[in-house]
Amino acid sequence: MQLFEFEGKELFKICGINVPKSQLITFEKLDSSSSATSTPLSTGSLRVRMTGEVVLKAQVLSGKRADAGGIVKVTKINDLRFKIKELFQRTINGEKVEKILVEEMVDIVREYYLSFSYSTETRGPVLTFGAGGTGVESKGKSKSFEVNILIGVDKEVLKHLPGELVDTAKKLWEVFIKYDCELAEINPLSLDKNGKVWALDAKVILDDDADFRREVKFEERNLFGRPPAKAEIEARKIDEGDHRGTSGSVYWDLPGDIAVMAAGGGGSVVNMDALIALGGKPANYTEHSGNPPREKLKKLTKIVLSKPNLKGCWFVGGTANFTDIYETLMGFVEGLRELKPRPAYPIVIRRGGPRDKEAFEELKRIGKEEGFDFHIYGKETPMTSTAKIMVELAYGKKQIVIPSEGK
Amino acid sequence: MTKETMAILVNEKTKVLVQGITGKEGSKVTLQMQNYGTKVLAGVTPKKGGQEVHAVPVYNSINEALDNHPGINTSFIAVPNFAAFGAMEEAIQAKIPLINVLTEHIPIADTAKAIALARKAGVRIVGPSSIGIISPTVGKVGSIGGDDPRGVFNKGNIGVISKSGGMASEVSWILTKNGMGQSTVVGIGGDVLVGSTFADLMVDFEKDEQTKAVVLFGEIGGTYEEEAADMIKHGKFSKKVVAFISGLFAQNLPQGTKLGHAGAIIYGKKGSYKSKIESLKSAGVKIAKTPDEIPDLLK
Repeated sequence: MQLFEFEGKELFKICGINVPKSQLITFEKLDSSSSATSTPLSTGSLRVRMTGEVVLKAQVLSGKRADAGGIVKVTKINDLRFKIKELFQRTINGEKVEKILVEEMVDIVREYYLSFSYSTETRGPVLTFGAGGTGVESKGKSKSFEVNILIGVDKEVLKHLPGELVDTAKKLWEVFIKYDCELAEINPLSLDKNGKVWALDAKVILDDDADFRREVKFEERNLFGRPPAKAEIEARKIDEGDHRGTSGSVYWDLPGDIAVMAAGGGGSVVNMDALIALGGKPANYTEHSGNPPREKLKKLTKIVLSKPNLKGCWFVGGTANFTDIYETLMGFVEGLRELKPRPAYPIVIRRGGPRDKEAFEELKRIGKEEGFDFHIYGKETPMTSTAKIMVELAYGKKQIVIPSEGK
Repeated sequence: MTKETMAILVNEKTKVLVQGITGKEGSKVTLQMQNYGTKVLAGVTPKKGGQEVHAVPVYNSINEALDNHPGINTSFIAVPNFAAFGAMEEAIQAKIPLINVLTEHIPIADTAKAIALARKAGVRIVGPSSIGIISPTVGKVGSIGGDDPRGVFNKGNIGVISKSGGMASEVSWILTKNGMGQSTVVGIGGDVLVGSTFADLMVDFEKDEQTKAVVLFGEIGGTYEEEAADMIKHGKFSKKVVAFISGLFAQNLPQGTKLGHAGAIIYGKKGSYKSKIESLKSAGVKIAKTPDEIPDLLK
C-alpha cells in the first residue's frame, strides 16, 4: 500500500526525521441530500496555526504532483483560504484532491534524493542516493548501494553519503525496517542555510504481506487515483476473511466485451496476452488461484458476467497442480445460473487438472439441459489456441492476423 | 557422473523433512511426495512431536529430527507466512542443503533476511511461493504435479524453470505431449525476492549431463530474466535456451499495478516486457510467442 505524504511524514516523525511544521486539511462534503455540488466546509473554520509563507500540497498518490499543479506556494496569508478552495477543486493526474497538507516553507540551499528499497539485483535492501528534486528518476544520476539486512546501515554503507545526511539515513532505515516498507523515499531531502536537514516529501510503500505485524494501520485506498469500478470493489471483497485460495482480489475493469475468468497467477497473464494478440477485447482482468471454494467462484462469476454487452466468456486455465477443477467449474455454473438475463453468448472453457474429466461430463450435461452455449476443452487443447476459438465465436469468423511480439 | 546423480536438486538420494507437516498443505504434500516415490523421513511441527502423519514421525524441532534421521538433505516448508522466517532460519542453521518454500505472502524483509542467511551458510532456498521441484519418474519435492504428476511430466532432457507454478505444469505438459521429457522442473516462485533465480539454476543445468536444453517461463517485473540473459552473454551457459515471457498486455495498466504474483509489478522501463525480450534475444535466446511454440523452438 502506498501512503500519502502526510502519512509517510507521520512515520518519519516517529523515527526522528526532521519535517516542516504542517497542518492537514480535509475536504468535507455537504451531506448528499443537499446538492451535487460540495464545498470545503473545513476552510470555513480554518485556523492555520502557522505564520509566514506556506506551501499547499495536494495529498494524492500519483507522481509528478508538482507538474500537475498539486503544489501551491502561498506568500500572502490573505490568499490562503482562496488558494485552498482552488486546490480542492483541482484534479491531479485524474485524482480528486481530498486532503491538503499546509506546510511551512523552508529556505533551501541544496536538495538530495535518499531512499531505501529492495533490489532484485542484490536480492536485498539498497540505499539509493543522488541529486534531489523532481524528475530524479529520469536524471539517472542516483546510485544504489547494497545494504546487508543482517547488519543494517553501517559505516560501509554510510560512507557513500555526505556527513550531514548520515543521521537522517539511519533514521530512514529505521522507518524502512520498523514499518516493513517496500520503499521509504525522501525527495527532496533538503538542507537549509543553517545546515539543518529537512524531509520535504515522503513516499512510502508498505509491504502488504507484513500487515499482520505492523503496529500502525492505514485506511484502504484506491490505486493511483482512478476510482475503482463497482465490480472491482466487489471482486476484491470476495477474498476478505477467507484465505482458501484467491478469487477476485486482483480484478481490473477493461473496456472490451469478452469476459475473462482466468486461473493461476501466471497462466492468467499468458492467456490475456494471447487473447489480445488474436484481436480479442477483454472486458476485465481477473484471476483465481490456489484452491478456492465453489462459493468464491460463484461470486466472481456473477461480478465478471454482470457487465453489459458481452459477446463471450472465456474460462481458461492451464493444467492445475492442486486446484479442484470440479469445484471451481461448478462454482462458475452456479454463478451463471443466477445471472439475469441468462448468458446466450458463447462460453469457452479450457482447463486441466484434478477432477477435470468429472467436471467436463457434468458441464456437458448442464449445457444441454439448461441451454448454455458451452465449448469445452481439456488439457489436450493448447490453452492459447482456445483464445482463437473464443475470438472466432465472439466476433464471427474472420481472418486473424497474429501481430509479431514485442510491439 | 553416475546415473543416480543425474537431473538437478531432486534425485534418488533426496530425503525430505517437512516443516509444518501437521498442517493441511504439509500433510497433503507429504502424501503426494510419498506416492511419487520420494522418501519423506520426518516432519516438524513445534509442540506436536510424537505424532505421525502418513506414517512419518513428527518432531518438535529440526535438530531432534536430524538426530533421528541424519540422512535428511532437503526441507520442504509449508507453514503460515508469519511463521515462515522462523522455519527458514531453523533449516538454514541446521545446514540442510536444499530448502523448498511453498509458503506465499511472506514479508519481503523476512525473505531478504533468509536469503542473506542462506548465502552465509552455503545452503540453497528455492522459493518462497514455489510450487516445488520435480525430476520426473525420480521424485518430487513440494506440490508440483499435484496428486498424480504421471502423464503431465515425463523423464527426458529438457530443464524447465518457471516463476509460475501453473505454467510449470502447463509447459511440461506441452513438452511431454510433443515427446520431449524433462530432466528437472523447478518452480522458483513469483515473489519480488527469490532464493534461486533462473541464473542460479542454470549453473546446475549447465553441469547436468541429462539436460540438453532449458525452457524459462518468465514474467514482467524484476530483473531475473535480464540476469539470465547476462549469464548467457558472458558464456556461462552453453545449452540451448527457449523463453516465454508473459505480461505484454499489462504494459498499459497503471504504474505499480500488481498482477498475479507479488514480483509481477509494473514500474517504468525496468523489468518491462520489452526489456526482458530484448535482453534475452540479444543473448541468442529463442522467444516463444505462445507456450505451444516452445517444442518447435527446442528442435
